[in-house]
Amino acid sequence: MNAQGSRRVLAEFAYEVPPVERGYTGQTLYVNLSDNTIAARPVTDEMKEKFTGGRGFGLWLLWHGVRDNTKWNDPENEIVISSGPCGGTTQYPGSGKSLVVSISPLTDIPIDSNVGGHFGPLLKFAGWDALELQGKAERDVIVIVDGQNGRITVEEAPDVPVDTHLIGHWLIEQMAEKEEDRYFMSVVSSGQGAEHTRIGCLNFSFYDRRRKAPRFKQAGRGGIGTVLRDKRVKAIVVKSPPVRGDSNHPADPERIARAGMRLHKEIHDYDDQQNRMRRRGTSYLVGIMNDYDLLPVHNFRYGSHPDAVKIDGDVWQSRFSQGLPDGCWYGCTMACSHAVDGYTVRTGPYKGQKVIVDGPEYETIAGVGSNCGIFDPDDILEINFYCDTYGLDTISFGTLTAFVMECYEAGVLDKEKTGGLELRFGNAGAAIEMLHQMARGEGFGRIAGQGIRRMKEHFVREFGADPQFLQDIGMEAKGLEYSEYVSKESLAQQGGYGLTNKGPQHDEAWLIFMDMVSNLLPTFEDKAEALHYFPMFRTWFGLCGFCKLPWNDIVPPDNAYTDEPAKIPEHVRNYVELFSGVTGREITAEDLITMSERVYNFQRVFNIRLGKGLREHDAVPYRSQGPVTVEEYRSRAERYDKQLRELLGLDPEKMTTEEKVAALRKHREAQYQKLIDAVYERRGWTRNGVPTLETLKRLGIDYPEVVAVVQKHL
Amino acid sequence: MIRINNRDEMEWEEGLTVSVLLERMRFSFPHIIVTIDGKVVPRDEYETHLIPDGANVRVIHLIAGG
Amino acid sequence: MKVLAFDSERCVGCHICEEVCSDTWFKATDVEKSSIRILDEGTGLLQAVFCVQCGECIDVCPTKALYRDRKGIVRLRKQLCVGCLSCVGFCPYAAMFYHPDQLEPFKCIACGQCVEGCPANALEIVEEPTPALTVTEQWEAVAG
Repeated sequence: MNAQGSRRVLAEFAYEVPPVERGYTGQTLYVNLSDNTIAARPVTDEMKEKFTGGRGFGLWLLWHGVRDNTKWNDPENEIVISSGPCGGTTQYPGSGKSLVVSISPLTDIPIDSNVGGHFGPLLKFAGWDALELQGKAERDVIVIVDGQNGRITVEEAPDVPVDTHLIGHWLIEQMAEKEEDRYFMSVVSSGQGAEHTRIGCLNFSFYDRRRKAPRFKQAGRGGIGTVLRDKRVKAIVVKSPPVRGDSNHPADPERIARAGMRLHKEIHDYDDQQNRMRRRGTSYLVGIMNDYDLLPVHNFRYGSHPDAVKIDGDVWQSRFSQGLPDGCWYGCTMACSHAVDGYTVRTGPYKGQKVIVDGPEYETIAGVGSNCGIFDPDDILEINFYCDTYGLDTISFGTLTAFVMECYEAGVLDKEKTGGLELRFGNAGAAIEMLHQMARGEGFGRIAGQGIRRMKEHFVREFGADPQFLQDIGMEAKGLEYSEYVSKESLAQQGGYGLTNKGPQHDEAWLIFMDMVSNLLPTFEDKAEALHYFPMFRTWFGLCGFCKLPWNDIVPPDNAYTDEPAKIPEHVRNYVELFSGVTGREITAEDLITMSERVYNFQRVFNIRLGKGLREHDAVPYRSQGPVTVEEYRSRAERYDKQLRELLGLDPEKMTTEEKVAALRKHREAQYQKLIDAVYERRGWTRNGVPTLETLKRLGIDYPEVVAVVQKHL
Repeated sequence: MIRINNRDEMEWEEGLTVSVLLERMRFSFPHIIVTIDGKVVPRDEYETHLIPDGANVRVIHLIAGG
Repeated sequence: MKVLAFDSERCVGCHICEEVCSDTWFKATDVEKSSIRILDEGTGLLQAVFCVQCGECIDVCPTKALYRDRKGIVRLRKQLCVGCLSCVGFCPYAAMFYHPDQLEPFKCIACGQCVEGCPANALEIVEEPTPALTVTEQWEAVAG
């Protein structure tokens, strides 16, 4: 393929690359693909003060870009990518994340998806605090942000491949004149799967200097890859000036260096005794979750499986190439982003190719593995590779495939309805074929790729399925597929999934151990406090450009002796140091929560503005709360019987299993409603889940257009 | 009888160490803090530290979730 | 390879080596800028911290800025370094150093200046076998 011949410049914009000052460039880049407008927009002090950066900037820009009735595929929907003021710091592990915000094709409300790779930091060093992409191109394009030469272009790219493992390599080869150019270049791409489904993901590249190849991290959740392809964008490329230790130009570099060296040392000294993230990444969680009955098996029916040992951390450790600092941004010694080299693809269009498979991470192993009854590591790798290159979210793919499999086994689906695919639990071949169908936009894969919410409607309408059963077992809320933890025995985590802004993704709160195991949240007030603090704390990472993992996947040895060990106080202090050290704005640990609250409440109001965001939208499927079926109840009968006796004063001996299922359900659903009341109160919302005027005032986000949205519901 | 996390109960036996308790409860998560009657047990004593009958044992799991 | 060696029996704790080192490489007399540090940990014998050229930091560096030169000495290519300081935290001997005056870390490259300056003959340059290849070097051999 001739690169120069196939690329034609449609729009061009020259700019002076500004220096980064204290974590900000002071401008965002606006690109409209419909009319090829390219513009620099100022970052105001108000934006920095109230919205910080990252997800905050994304939501703020999106809010002003869309109307109350904007749908995901309307031209005015945007994709906003922003790292945050601390993003691009090289000294502290986990400081290179990007946050992507858009109106989701799955949920019809804003989604925020966090991702590693080099794009966000390099975008900043190329002169931009955020990239705001609006409009729709007529034909396939690539957007190039060249921060080496101060030039933005939108270029037609008809014969450039779409799938990530091809386009990622291709663009880097085309655009790099010498090896060093590859270092400071990053590509955002999706794949052909994103074109025909609603579960498209974005891949963010980083150049692996040892493998001499690009690697990819995924902004998986919410279908932003689908939005990218709907805009006819094949890729976004950024080239930045060489990264240096002071590229982010922090106010107090030494403060940051000291915090960074402390954490590097801590990881060096303790990771091998703790999670061994450097060796196994998040795959270590498979065995742990299995031990605690939390690993989703067969569409979240069960929490463990005897075959889990075949896909646990030790197995992956033997598959990962070891001894390399697989960080997805410079200086991340947590180094969780492992890869399998030289994997030979077994099926589909790339059969026989030797590829690098990035990951798999825990969510992928549990989602496309145990949850679908698939326990062969090679099957998981095959699915992982194709999901990434086709631009499909492994979590949504796993959870929706598990749903399809349960429907198949329950008789809702059969071979005729699936076009010949025998989608039973454990049938990896059928799952992989469905994946290829998604990429081609054909057959049953096309239906499944619409996500669980739309499949439920389809199965009821076309196949006469029982809507209640599908509602109970379809693990989605707000339209987004659940991530991979069984929340049945933890009421707090049911809230951690249900009472979220974007849908059931655990990055807001993971409270299962605190609640179910450690029993640290015995009252509704305790749970509500946790569902206030942790979502706010974790939101903050996404405002600043940080990754969550170095917060608590490594802990200092004296953490046990602190007042609040679950919060990892020493690491919270590090974050206060880092933010203050970068921006020169002195903050406290309490300020950090307030900063998040502003953005979090703004996002809630944004949901309301788009017609969701109320109590009814925080409902969850019963499968996330308790046993839906008799079979499921019987599998853990001892546990459930005990609860009937101790919590409800019932005598299980005198009840049929159906009666027991019903009694437990009534209890658990009522508990969830009480939890909602407690959490809304703690968050400063009405009983209908609407932030009150007082809350908006306290946070300083009582802008007229924000107040106007909530007033209709007060 | 010993009490675990202010909720679960387990039969006490002669020679019950922290390690044995963790094994029996399938508490395999590496980030835990164990206290016996309010006092933290250092990690390197799990193999040897005996749990007295009637003890109030807390096994605090620090949050996880990737 | 030729590396620095220290004889604690001979060291008198004059710290001249630190001064010579920082003066050689930073044109300053400042122990914080020295790649050798003499420590008194109260054991009766003084200890010296300096790089033994083990090469563990080569595998930790995300940019391949750290490498072993033809003479076996581990060195830093400053133009590749992004100042992440991973190597500082991961050095098993705490012999990779940071100073706020510069972005890149620094270490002993066995130049021998301190040996010359040591009045007690506590330091010398000795021949040691070169350690086995690091993972990075193995990859380099494969990838070319």
